[in-house]
Amino acid sequence: MAMDKDKLSAIVGSENVSEDPDLLATWRQAGPVSGGEPQLLVRPRSTAEVRELVKLARAEGINLVFSSSAPPRVRGDSVPAGEAVIVDMSGMDELVRLDRRNKVALIEPGVTFERLIPEVDKAGLKVLMPLLPKRGKSVLASALEREPITIPKYHWDMTDPMLCTELVFGTGDLFRTGSAAGPGSLEQQWAAGGAQKNPMGPAQTDFVRVVQGSQGTLAAVMWCTLKLEVKPSIHRIYFVPDARLSRLSDFTYRALRPKLGDEWLILSARQLATVTAEDPSRVDELAAQMAPWTVVYGVSGYEYLPEMRVAYQEKDLAAHAQAAGVMAASEVPGCSAKRMERILASPSPEPYYKAAPKGAFMDIFFLTTLDRVPHFVSVMEAEAGKHGYPPERVGTYIQPIQQGRNVHLEFTLYYDSADAAKAGELFTSASQALSEAGAFFSRPYGPWADLAYARCPDTVAALRKVKDMLDPDGVLNRGKLCFTREVV
Amino acid sequence: MTSETMTQSFETISDEAYRDLEAAVGAEYVSREPGVLDGYTWQPTINDDPAKWVKRPVAVVLPSCTEEVQEVVRACNRHGLKFKAFSTGWGVYSGCTYDNVVQVDLRRMNRILEIDEKNMYAVIEPYNCGAQLQAEAMKLGLNAHIIGAGPACSPLASATSGWGVGWDGVYMSYGHRNLLGAEWVLPDGEVLRVGSLDSGLGWFSPDGPGPSLRGIMRGSAGALGGLGIFTKCSLKLYNWPGPPHMKTEGVMLDAQTEPPEHMRFHLCFFPDRASLDEAVYKMGESELAYIFTRTAVGAYVNTFAPHLLQNVSRTRAFRDVLSKTLKWGCTIILVGNSEDEIVFQEAVLKEIVSGQGGLSMETMQAAAIGPMMVMNFLRVSAIPMVFRAGGLFSTALARNEAWDTQMDWAEKGEKIKQRWIDRGGILDDLADNPFMALYEQNTWGHCEEIFQYNARDPKHLASLEPLFVEFSVAAMEMCMEPLSVTDARLREVISPMMGHYNEWQKKISLFLDARRAADTGMYCDEVDIDLSKIDPEIRETLDRMVAKLTWSEEGPPS
Ligand SMILES: Cc1cc2nc3c(=O)[nH]c(=O)nc-3n(C[C@H](O)[C@H](O)[C@H](O)COP(=O)(O)OP(=O)(O)OC[C@H]3O[C@@H](n4cnc5c(N)ncnc54)[C@H](O)[C@@H]3O)c2cc1C
Repeated sequence: MAMDKDKLSAIVGSENVSEDPDLLATWRQAGPVSGGEPQLLVRPRSTAEVRELVKLARAEGINLVFSSSAPPRVRGDSVPAGEAVIVDMSGMDELVRLDRRNKVALIEPGVTFERLIPEVDKAGLKVLMPLLPKRGKSVLASALEREPITIPKYHWDMTDPMLCTELVFGTGDLFRTGSAAGPGSLEQQWAAGGAQKNPMGPAQTDFVRVVQGSQGTLAAVMWCTLKLEVKPSIHRIYFVPDARLSRLSDFTYRALRPKLGDEWLILSARQLATVTAEDPSRVDELAAQMAPWTVVYGVSGYEYLPEMRVAYQEKDLAAHAQAAGVMAASEVPGCSAKRMERILASPSPEPYYKAAPKGAFMDIFFLTTLDRVPHFVSVMEAEAGKHGYPPERVGTYIQPIQQGRNVHLEFTLYYDSADAAKAGELFTSASQALSEAGAFFSRPYGPWADLAYARCPDTVAALRKVKDMLDPDGVLNRGKLCFTREVV
Repeated sequence: MTSETMTQSFETISDEAYRDLEAAVGAEYVSREPGVLDGYTWQPTINDDPAKWVKRPVAVVLPSCTEEVQEVVRACNRHGLKFKAFSTGWGVYSGCTYDNVVQVDLRRMNRILEIDEKNMYAVIEPYNCGAQLQAEAMKLGLNAHIIGAGPACSPLASATSGWGVGWDGVYMSYGHRNLLGAEWVLPDGEVLRVGSLDSGLGWFSPDGPGPSLRGIMRGSAGALGGLGIFTKCSLKLYNWPGPPHMKTEGVMLDAQTEPPEHMRFHLCFFPDRASLDEAVYKMGESELAYIFTRTAVGAYVNTFAPHLLQNVSRTRAFRDVLSKTLKWGCTIILVGNSEDEIVFQEAVLKEIVSGQGGLSMETMQAAAIGPMMVMNFLRVSAIPMVFRAGGLFSTALARNEAWDTQMDWAEKGEKIKQRWIDRGGILDDLADNPFMALYEQNTWGHCEEIFQYNARDPKHLASLEPLFVEFSVAAMEMCMEPLSVTDARLREVISPMMGHYNEWQKKISLFLDARRAADTGMYCDEVDIDLSKIDPEIRETLDRMVAKLTWSEEGPPS
């Protein structure tokens, strides 16, 4: 692939082109994905520059890999399959607009959680958080990748909390989705009272859904609007520890149907200890003291009669807990409710919380329904057993989404350098076994793409047509997902 | 629809093609009898063609399963025919727009295939209607989103192919956003399953692996039959804390239903628009409401007692009470899961309303009103009443967005309508007749301005197309997507104002339908519009909007 530095410099300025090997190194390998050969990095400053880059890529056959977050990289989606120019969007980091009345922010790709949270907080609002995103993580990229948020009642549909977007397709065409599509520029729409809150459209298209989960293979996202919610005036966190996941599932189903609670997640002892440990070296000790499973939930009061709201929610939740045979507590070993509240509202401390206890980790995650979780847990345990992998080194995180209709189920394999090979083997065989057991790898990173797409040849055929339409020359993150021709 | 689409001459189907259709579904389920076909051709609702007819299909088929639908579509491909799906056929949208269309009437596919009680979704076929789904869901403590068109409509049609607006959207979202999976017969006859279903993993997740094909199948509006036929879909269900069976006697306005224990029905009124707006935002932030609508009091009277409205509207004082004193109101239904919750909700509502200088009347407990209201709101049963005043009605919808913009649209619509009422072009419903709703606790709002007319009055019929254009131009001026984005007459003008969306729709149509077998009249076709009947002032504004808003190569003009 010809990498014409001069032509790239002509678009973004020579100061925004880099071939520093140390800088590029972070795109060579991530998680289970390796083999990236990033040649150059460019830092565009505007949509116009990105469009020019795409046009150049089409003319010169360049592979563009868009990336918005800071390292370390975890999933491997931005590790190129072979040579590439990395398009580093982290410099486009403006919080363009924050609208308190309509509870929405318009953000560029480089806006991180640590940057956005205090601004939003000042406005009396809150960011809908995934669990402990790593520092430097792009908020836009998190939503674009459909990372689950921890408050299921605000997760109405898979696009949430992303609303409207500006896209540059692989054709170089500019497009806007949702109500941002117009008529009118953003400024004209704001003057008319618009806030880019309707995520659907324009008209009979819904390209935001097509671009979400596409790992940068169909379009670059220049900005998005993000749904925010009101900051509670009272917020209490509870823990419901129990030995039996079935009881906690029953409690969860009972509570989420009537939209009770705010945050709602279920963690295994290992995962809860990892999330909460102030000192990572104490994770083993804490995990040993914790119940095998814990529901963590929040209850909030807002502007009107907050105490009364919290009181009825607590009472109704207590009734559901009793019916399910479980009981709420205000702390777990090593973590108070107050501390958990802070954890749920913050990005991860440094180093990234999953890397802290053993130095390294690998995640396996997919979608399913809550009632099927025990089945997958036993598949995972069996696989760990087969590989002689200590079961206590596997953490489990269950995140209800779509208001409780689905869950994001995540297994984290914690390992140190001595265990790396064993963890790698377990990752591969467990991914395969879970897929065979019915895991839906809806975000198929790295090796999961082959597993996921082998199950759905008709979807693959349709997606390839979409790829041909939006990126006919294959200039965007080549070789990812099912756009490799060899999968099925 | 325009008079362009009126049937001038009838095309017929070849015997060979007809035999293939018979082979696909069985001879007793195909017809080319003119009398039968005309049954599908009379489509007066939301049709601004004064003639009210749409094109006559060349045949109608009634398949019973997905495989038969595939065979029908393949036969159409082989014989150069087009096809168009018809689920419950409520409105002009299921009508054919070409001369060689086979109407695929899906009424034999009417089952609820599954209700997953725990994970709160149902899998249904096209002719299962909202009322049936709701009744079955309620038995399990669940409820189904019913669009404002009423309980006779197909939830599958609105979620996969139409819109999906309803006043329960505040708690139960919007058709498209409730979709968890779909089985889709593509225009070439192949089947595509959307989401986890295609991986053999069931109906629970609509997106992926990777990009979501849901974004191709539809947008804020559906493809209206232009991209194939959906034979099954999975839809979200929501919590229902009421009884499993609603004990009801009588129908529609005579219906008497015992109100559920924890349900309250509040009519709220405010002194001005600002206080109403403020209250709506506060209600959203307080996460109140199971059903929310702003429907003018005059519109209620017009719906339930049109003659009464005609009489009182002649009296200035009554007119003023309805259109001024009670103008800034909304209707809100609260449903609690426990006694404590309903007490809390009512207390919050009271604080919000009184804080804005408003007043609220709880009418569920009023013997004369409560029992009548329950099903008319929960099941949207009252909707056919909208036809009573003049026989027909139409609507003007603009982009669903922040509530404030929807109120602007309501006010704009009222002004436009008043002019047409003054010149005798539509019925006098006091002009302020919006149907407004909230989605997802006021994440965004909805407003459409309804107008009624007498289908036997030539002056009314002549108003329809000019009104359609005037409302569309008004939406453009307000930076809102007009309803006419789905209309072949204005696509050519509007698409370049919105990122040339129709160029992408044409591409989608082409890659899914190389042989052009689907009837794309309501999806991506463009036809010329005769603007000679439109006010010169409106035409001028349209020209100005085209110059001001059309995207250049750089994007939207600033
Ligand atoms: C009085 C009235 C009130 C209305 N109010 C509302 C409202 O509040 N909210 C709202 O969203 N809409 C409303 N509408 C508009 C519209 O009628 C509905 O959106 C409704 O979905 C269409 O009715 P239907 O369910 O009977 O479907 P149909 O008329 O059968 O179909 C609607 C469209 O979808 C296509 N279609 C149907 N089934 C399939 C299928 N299986 N596969 C592919 N395409 C298919 C049809 O070809 C047609 O274009 C209203 C209409 C009327 C007449």
